Amino acid sequence: MRNERQPRTLPASYADIEFENNAQRLPLVLCLDTSSSMTGPPIQTLNDALRSWTRELHDDVSLSYSVEVAVVTFGGQGVCAWRGAQPLPPQVPVSPFVPAHAFQAPVLGAAGVTLLTEALELAVRIVADRKAELRAGGLQYYRPQICLVTDGLPTDGTGRWTNAWQRLVPTLTDDQLARKYRLYAIGVGDISDMGEQVLKALAPAFNARLHGFPFRELLQMMSASANAEQRGAGDEVFEKIFAQFRTQRPAWEA
Amino acid sequence: MGDGARLVTAPTGQRVLLDGRRVTLGPQPLKGGGQAAVYPVADHRQIVVKLYREPPGAEQERRLERMLTLTPLGGRPIGPGQPPELAWPTAVARGAGGEFLGYAMRRFGEPGHVQLVGLFTRAQRLRLFPERTDWRFMLGVGWNLAFMTARMHYEGLVVGDFSSNNVVVDANGFVTFLDCDSIAFTDPATHEEFPCLMQTADYAAPERLAGGPATRQSDDFALAVLIYQLLTAGNHPFGGVPRDSESETTVKDNIAASRSYVAAPGCVIVPRGVVDPTILPPALLALARRAFGPGVTHPAARPQAQDWLRALDEERRLARVCPDRPRHSHGSHLTTCPWCARAAVTGHDVFNDTSPTGPNPSAASAASRQTKQMHLMQPVQPVHPTQQKRRQRRREQAGPPSRQAPTWLPDTGRPLALGLTILVAVLVLVIVVNLAQGH
Repeated sequence: MRNERQPRTLPASYADIEFENNAQRLPLVLCLDTSSSMTGPPIQTLNDALRSWTRELHDDVSLSYSVEVAVVTFGGQGVCAWRGAQPLPPQVPVSPFVPAHAFQAPVLGAAGVTLLTEALELAVRIVADRKAELRAGGLQYYRPQICLVTDGLPTDGTGRWTNAWQRLVPTLTDDQLARKYRLYAIGVGDISDMGEQVLKALAPAFNARLHGFPFRELLQMMSASANAEQRGAGDEVFEKIFAQFRTQRPAWEA
Repeated sequence: MGDGARLVTAPTGQRVLLDGRRVTLGPQPLKGGGQAAVYPVADHRQIVVKLYREPPGAEQERRLERMLTLTPLGGRPIGPGQPPELAWPTAVARGAGGEFLGYAMRRFGEPGHVQLVGLFTRAQRLRLFPERTDWRFMLGVGWNLAFMTARMHYEGLVVGDFSSNNVVVDANGFVTFLDCDSIAFTDPATHEEFPCLMQTADYAAPERLAGGPATRQSDDFALAVLIYQLLTAGNHPFGGVPRDSESETTVKDNIAASRSYVAAPGCVIVPRGVVDPTILPPALLALARRAFGPGVTHPAARPQAQDWLRALDEERRLARVCPDRPRHSHGSHLTTCPWCARAAVTGHDVFNDTSPTGPNPSAASAASRQTKQMHLMQPVQPVHPTQQKRRQRRREQAGPPSRQAPTWLPDTGRPLALGLTILVAVLVLVIVVNLAQGH
């Protein structure tokens, strides 16, 4: 009984809280590394995974009811928030969150530096802004999820390795303790030991270092986690989901 | 699925034994929750296998073994074309060494079966349900839900994890309960008790949120929430945020604090776009207010499935159809169409996509002709109170009715509908002939 009418893409100017749906929302931010080290097959794999995940999200009646997705990328010359497939110019007062059923995957290119610190700051800020918008509309929200994915070390605007990320640690730690969001920090590809240490410091509860570029599994894990959030699962369930995700490594190496 | 994505996953899925027979599962789960994932089975499209994420304990294995000896709700009539009412386990799934991994059940997937939550937004309703899905359909689905709850309680089963995700609806509004492995029951043969250990926060009664067991009354709470959501096209009765806007509040928090705008208007800032609770006919609204007012903290005060069944039954016969817009129907207590009024004020039509790129207007007007026909068909018979009471008593004695009902037409409406269709067809023919002769 499915009527094959595709969800329409929304213009960027669209009033950003869907009027017809006042379900409790689940904001989800994908904070993705698109620096030069991702060039070639990695970025291709990421784009493919985003596309198929988007399709699965549309088809998931339950998730598409309350999940809203925003994308933040760090690469090129800086950081960028995307509203679905559209990059938003900096300082534009438009929310990057799109209801899951209308979300379209961006097509990402890889180049430039790794402004991980700034990207994560942006992710945290858009989540806080979104919460305020939702609250003002009388809408409730589940604990948001931020998923940080990188294959390298944070750099500054000139591509030099930087310690600037350390300034985030106190705020992120407090926020996670205060249950303001769940931060997942995932290292992929040839991320170094030092890179892994950064992720551990940023997201003590949910960090992982994965071989290869298993973006599809990663996004499915985000969906499983969203599903658990909707059920109102306890912390141990999220740990279980994440642990299982982390222990499937051998299959990906093949 | 992109080729790149395929590369990183195993080409074939896990092998498991069902009743000793080896089957191969699909490489990707259809659905993955916190505790388990559901997989398709290669060469057996009609079944799925649910595998627990962690090795389930001996207790869960015992539960499944006992469930396989039972056929709840079996041996009674179900309507023609009606799917089974429970996705009851059909076999235990084991690994090569005989270890217990999960169980098999019949597949109730899209497009034939849609999770109840699919009825809660316009976009999904229009995409996943038949063209004519309207408020009467929602009313009918609510009736079937109440029916199933009453029926299960009658047989000593407690749904336990009752939510908009664990129930699917078909194109006729028949409902099927999924995830039966969490149902609470007492084994009639061995008298073993199997409690329900799962819950979904947005449908959990406060005593369950506080760690209490699943009971009929906790089912009654979830049922009330689901029926309310159906009748308001998706609004959760515990939506809204408290007035001190800094606090982070979820549905779960509002349930725990007994904060419902349905029972206590003004206790929260309601979600923008909320449908006014008075869209519910008075008898149904009274039940809702009982459930979301005193019933929140006093389980015994909650309306039971039978109460909903009776009130919904009355309203099903009386519901009115709007002559102006397709898919608009409403309770008999309203003299004008509330959905039209809402569309006029907000610009948003709860049942129709009114944007320029929406469905074409000719389809809408065709549907509108149809709703006008149905309008004539509504038997508006005021029922005398004593007569009503007598009827009610008769029903109470009889227990729950024996079957779910298709949601499209009340049973008595069918011959009438056929007659009217023929009548209208003849009239149209006459008009067409007249016009042709006029030229």
